[in-house]
Amino acid sequence: MAVYKKTYRPYEGRLTASWSRFLVIRRYAFEDLRRSRFLTVFYLASFLYPLIAALIIWVQHNASALQLLNLNGASRLVPINAGFFMTVLGWQSMLALFLSAFVGPGQVSPDLTNNALSLYLARPFSRAEYVLGKLSVLLILLSLMTWVPGLLLFGLQGYLEGWSWMTDHARIAAGLFFGAWIWILVLALLALSLSAWVKWRPAAGALLFGVFFVGSGFGAAINTVQETQWGSLLNISNLMGTVWVQLFEGNDPTSNGALFFRVSAGGHLPVWCCWAALLILCGICLSMLSRKIRGAEVVR
Amino acid sequence: MNPAWMRQLTGVIALEWKKTFLSRRGWWVYLLALGPVVLTFLHSLIRARNQGGHSLFQDTQIFAGMFELYFLRLGIFFGCLGIFSNLFRGEMLEKTLHYYFLTPMRRELLVVGKYLSGLIVALVLFVASTGLSFWLIGRHQGAAWSEFLQHGAGLSQMIWYMVVAALACVGYGAVFLVAGLFIRNPLIPAAVVMVWENLNPFLPSLLKKFSVIFYLKSLCPVQINVPPPLNVLVTDTDPASAWIAVPGLLVVAMLVLAYAAISARRVEISYGE
Amino acid sequence: MSGPLTNRLITFGEVSRFYGEVLGINRVNLTIPPGITSLVGPNGSGKTTLMNLMTGLIRPTRGDIRVLGIPPDRPEELGPIVGYCAQFDNFPKGLTGYQFLHSFLRIRGMSEVECAERTRSALDTVNMTDAAQRPVGAYSKGMRQRIKLAQAIAHDPQVLVLDEPLNGLDPMARAETIALFQQWGAQGRHVIVSSHILHEVDRISDQVILLSHGYVVAEGEIQGVRSEVKDQPMQILIRCDHPNALAARLFQQDHVVEAKIHPDGKGILLRTTDADRFYLLLNRVVLETGLDVESVAPADDDVNSVYQYLIGGEGGTV
Repeated sequence: MAVYKKTYRPYEGRLTASWSRFLVIRRYAFEDLRRSRFLTVFYLASFLYPLIAALIIWVQHNASALQLLNLNGASRLVPINAGFFMTVLGWQSMLALFLSAFVGPGQVSPDLTNNALSLYLARPFSRAEYVLGKLSVLLILLSLMTWVPGLLLFGLQGYLEGWSWMTDHARIAAGLFFGAWIWILVLALLALSLSAWVKWRPAAGALLFGVFFVGSGFGAAINTVQETQWGSLLNISNLMGTVWVQLFEGNDPTSNGALFFRVSAGGHLPVWCCWAALLILCGICLSMLSRKIRGAEVVR
Repeated sequence: MNPAWMRQLTGVIALEWKKTFLSRRGWWVYLLALGPVVLTFLHSLIRARNQGGHSLFQDTQIFAGMFELYFLRLGIFFGCLGIFSNLFRGEMLEKTLHYYFLTPMRRELLVVGKYLSGLIVALVLFVASTGLSFWLIGRHQGAAWSEFLQHGAGLSQMIWYMVVAALACVGYGAVFLVAGLFIRNPLIPAAVVMVWENLNPFLPSLLKKFSVIFYLKSLCPVQINVPPPLNVLVTDTDPASAWIAVPGLLVVAMLVLAYAAISARRVEISYGE
Repeated sequence: MSGPLTNRLITFGEVSRFYGEVLGINRVNLTIPPGITSLVGPNGSGKTTLMNLMTGLIRPTRGDIRVLGIPPDRPEELGPIVGYCAQFDNFPKGLTGYQFLHSFLRIRGMSEVECAERTRSALDTVNMTDAAQRPVGAYSKGMRQRIKLAQAIAHDPQVLVLDEPLNGLDPMARAETIALFQQWGAQGRHVIVSSHILHEVDRISDQVILLSHGYVVAEGEIQGVRSEVKDQPMQILIRCDHPNALAARLFQQDHVVEAKIHPDGKGILLRTTDADRFYLLLNRVVLETGLDVESVAPADDDVNSVYQYLIGGEGGTV
């Protein structure tokens, strides 16, 4: 009798439903992240600004608080408008970039370094589910620090200001939601694809910073040296700022982007160009992932 | 005949510079260094064809901006992060550091050897890139640029930019070598240093002096100002003189390196197990 | 101990090493003389920790180590006399076998001529001359193991520390490598080998150190160690012409725990708690009955048996 017939017993317990199997990865990833004190503190600290923003909204609608603080003119000092919410989203998005640089590279690179991908993919678990599972970790974390507090703030302002304010400014809510999702998707895909190509976690994180900061710096250098605006194509923040302005304010913008994603003064790229560039970037990331997330790698 | 320590030092440098220069993984460092060269080359080509555009003064201003905002804050910073933090941390990750630790080489000498090999690579790439970019940015001005280089302030400016680039490699190199030697994830100190260095213009005068970029900026031959609206947040501080900035940076780098060299004796091989 | 004698020994005095709260080794006292010494123990018993300590790659939490009189935290003095073939199967990227050996000899401070000469000699010793110009990354597991061995011996060290050196070697290469160990041991060098392959350890070792859970459970020559294991009856195989008659006499003795007739019917496998009394008895039986004894040999004074008695479970036999 073959040895495997004597000893091998296939798993006979209940299987996780195939549609939700990718969430198993998320469960373990969160466990890992929770162990890092630095990340826990950083994540909790990232909610400070939305809390301050909530306080500002509350104070502005509380006559006695305004009187107490002698800030009767505060409503004019900090207007609660598209710019206010874009600034909140901008600040949170900047923190999201840092969080992605710390968390994202740890998602795929250890699996590649330890040749663990074949273990995942030897199970009834596809490459797409693997990527989705890893992606969901970042999507959930980044959502909780961007559009979720953004919409809560929007709800608070609407509650205090009245239903008509909410309907008049529905575009802000849509801008918060969709603007944050585009940013989150770009960040998550970039972080995962870089971590799939660079096996050393810190190097992948540094590369993520590099793509943003060096890209924007070099883009600005191109714009200045060549007297053009096309260098901004390398500046992801600039692309995102332009897209946000359109999402928040439509075709008649009054601002030039959020505080941290300011569209540089001077020539602006057409909005369709920014959308196209972001789409191409996501496409490149997906193709990088598809090349690296394989059960076996040919080592040369 | 060379003494043994000299042979050991050259042995480390010979092994390391090849790994850094010829590593496939290091392509992005070349990209960082060569990007401005390609950009300024295209600039000189396009301007030469179009006959017009920037004046000589504008070109030097543009280069000053590019040097401070791209070379110092981004290119050399990230390049040195990649080169120097990899010297020890990369070996630990690849599980090859024990080969060095088993040799009769003093750990202090190993730190110096690795630092020098990283420095050679960084200097060749970034100092050459700085010099070439400066030379190319005004080349389309023809005789006026040659005159500026040969008899005007051009040559002195170019040399100062190259000196500043070299000092940046020396300073950031020492910082990132230490980060790579002692910290498992050098990204965290690197992010802190990056935020600190970029906040520098907005810091109070006293705090400004606790950064590398302040002294490097002081040595730049052409100063550029922070554009509006952020300029209102800038605090004015007198730049450090060259007599303070150059030896100061060198001394700080040497102190950081000395700390790394002495502490390296206590480094153990654990490879994160 | 001091003076010239200690300068020929590797000594561990009350050495402990903890990894945070995890025990590596605890209160180890050892004296290792020249010759082949095998470190035997299950995974996690502290073999690699012991080797890393004596080569200076890690430092003890407590205690004192001397390698031929030199503390391991002085790489300048220790490096020339110690060669270590570590368990890590990793090499600096992009080097050929020749460059790998040559570069690290150079870092040892040798001249160009000496580096080239020693590189060639080490490659020749491990039969890697033909593959010397190929990148190490393209080597098979066995070749990588051999190039690591070459790197460990290239500077002609007095102490060779080899962590699982036979891993991945084919039977021919394994036999050649064992012959090398024996040659080095015979030259008066310290050859310290860790291995799971107990029958090979048994064949080559001058002495054995048995480790379990970070403690040294036994050390010394294997027969000596076996005789110290009093709570386990000795097994003796007696080949003779009338095993049944011998068995009948043996069963009358209180020190005989078990006596089994050999499957071929020409011998007895005996388990006794007092081997000396058995040998006296055997002499008497031979004289009284004219029993024709072909051979008498201990059947469990090998490393495998000692391993089972002291540590439990089976050692590897691959």
